[in-house]
Amino acid sequence: MTSIPNALCFGDGLPGAGAPCHVTVSADGLIMVPVGTSPLVEAAIAFTAMSVEAGGLDHDQLVVSWGVGASVRTLYLKDPALILAFRHAAPSVLMAHLERAAEQVRRVRHSHRALWGSAVGVVVGLGLLLWFGADLIVEWAVARIPVEWEQKLGETVYQDFLSKEPVIKEGPAVSAVQEMTQRMAAKIPNNPYTFQVSVVQSPVVNAFALPGGYVVVFTGLMKKAESGEEVAGVLSHELNHVLQRHGMERIVKMMGLAAVVSILVGDQQGLIGLARQLGLELATLKFGREQETEADVTGIRLLSDARIAPDGMIRFFERLSEKDKERVELFSSHPMSAARAERLKAELAALPKQTPEPFTFEWKGVQDSLGVSEAKK
Amino acid sequence: MKSEILYPGAFPMVRVYLNEGETVKAESGAMVAASPTIDIESKMEGGFLGALSRKMLSGEKFFFQTLRASRGAGEVLLAPTVPGEIVLLDLDGVNEYMVQKDGFLAGTEGVKIESKMQSLTRGLLGGEGFFILRIGGTGRLILNSFGAIHKIELKPNEEYIVDNSHLVAWTSTTTYNIEKASSGWIASLTSGEGLVCRFRGPGVVYIQSRNPGSFGNWIRQFIPVSE
Ligand SMILES: [Zn+2]
Repeated sequence: MTSIPNALCFGDGLPGAGAPCHVTVSADGLIMVPVGTSPLVEAAIAFTAMSVEAGGLDHDQLVVSWGVGASVRTLYLKDPALILAFRHAAPSVLMAHLERAAEQVRRVRHSHRALWGSAVGVVVGLGLLLWFGADLIVEWAVARIPVEWEQKLGETVYQDFLSKEPVIKEGPAVSAVQEMTQRMAAKIPNNPYTFQVSVVQSPVVNAFALPGGYVVVFTGLMKKAESGEEVAGVLSHELNHVLQRHGMERIVKMMGLAAVVSILVGDQQGLIGLARQLGLELATLKFGREQETEADVTGIRLLSDARIAPDGMIRFFERLSEKDKERVELFSSHPMSAARAERLKAELAALPKQTPEPFTFEWKGVQDSLGVSEAKK
Repeated sequence: MKSEILYPGAFPMVRVYLNEGETVKAESGAMVAASPTIDIESKMEGGFLGALSRKMLSGEKFFFQTLRASRGAGEVLLAPTVPGEIVLLDLDGVNEYMVQKDGFLAGTEGVKIESKMQSLTRGLLGGEGFFILRIGGTGRLILNSFGAIHKIELKPNEEYIVDNSHLVAWTSTTTYNIEKASSGWIASLTSGEGLVCRFRGPGVVYIQSRNPGSFGNWIRQFIPVSE
């Protein structure tokens, strides 16, 4: 009467995706009970009658086979607790075979690695270092990526993205984010990037920047913000991720070896191809804590330089941390934002006082142009 | 929660009935129509707000909508962007599917979706993308394809070779290797073209009868080049 399956059974006459069953470990073998309506019949399989190996996509499943000819049955066990129970109960002879199989898997992986090694020589060393997160190499590699590559890469993903989303082409919202961006861009010395900002119609309360200076702001965020200064705060943070090439650092880290090879051999198309495969995942790149702090701090300085009231950014963080308590689902919980607001206040206190200059637009009008708020519920 | 395919074939839709409080998670843009009792919650991982999130490495799909019957029972109609078949799979907690990114249409409550980074060699060589979705849990998983969906059943150790742009989904009991880099090392590494996957059973592999990339190239010849 077991209803929750913990294994799949394969064999002639059974479904191709496997027949679900419930397996328990006994003193001398396994007991398999079919779940639901199934052509499978209940069976007890003695340890002496079975062979075991590791299998499945990640080689993390225990594969148990028994029988001959058309009656061969193969069980796939995935539940770690069940596999552990099996390991404890099974005679060592049986497990020795499994260990041999595991060793074989390791050897195969090893030989694959060796093959790669001969193909790319010394770069593998770099790649492995990268793989284990050597930030120095990441920085070294990123410093070698020309800005034009970065722009081409960002633009490719940006255009792919915009072609699928409802973009607001003109109007108060677009003018507003452009004004914010221009005021900030004008205060960045030796800025190699030409920032492009798009407003996308979506209830998503978010914004992101792609490497090379391509920024997307969702109308959901603009509707949630209580002032233009709050949106400018988000933009400033995102622009600083671009300026500090945080996205490229993440990409190189994620793509590892292949990215370094592309950079080394000067294969621009290769790098863009790789990034294109990442596609939109580029925008979901999670920056590290240090990168976030850096973007916050440089972000508030940029606001101050551009004479945009920097407390908008702080207020937005604070409001988000309050909202979070009630709206856990939408934002996930982030105890971080309160701490970030505190940090920003300290940073702001240390900055020279500037008299903020208001924007030319009226924020209420900008929000009204976006239509009825659907995010309020 | 019940779901059914309407108009099976090239232009299908799925109807999902939700009891009050139930949810279904759908690919953003998949919703065609819904009862007035259904609310839409959109979400995006990453970006400015994602960075505020505590779970720094969570792997939810980039864009999806959660449709919730918050004000009473109701129904939702869902459809994919591309013409092609839809398949409904029942997840019982033990079976698990690896799904190519564009293959996911929707999942009912209890279906767990994580995006999984491909291992170095597999991921970089596979045209199906650097990330694939690993979908398990319990409930109903709704997949869509470009063209018809064809199901290949593999017995233990049985092998089958699939052009990787035709891949939709496969079970996690199935292993695979990517083979045959056709044109130069970096080229095939980066484009994923000309590559095939050698699958080894047991399990099921779902493939689509049309290749989105080739179709795009075919269409492109009819689009006048501006400049
Ligand atoms: Zn950030």
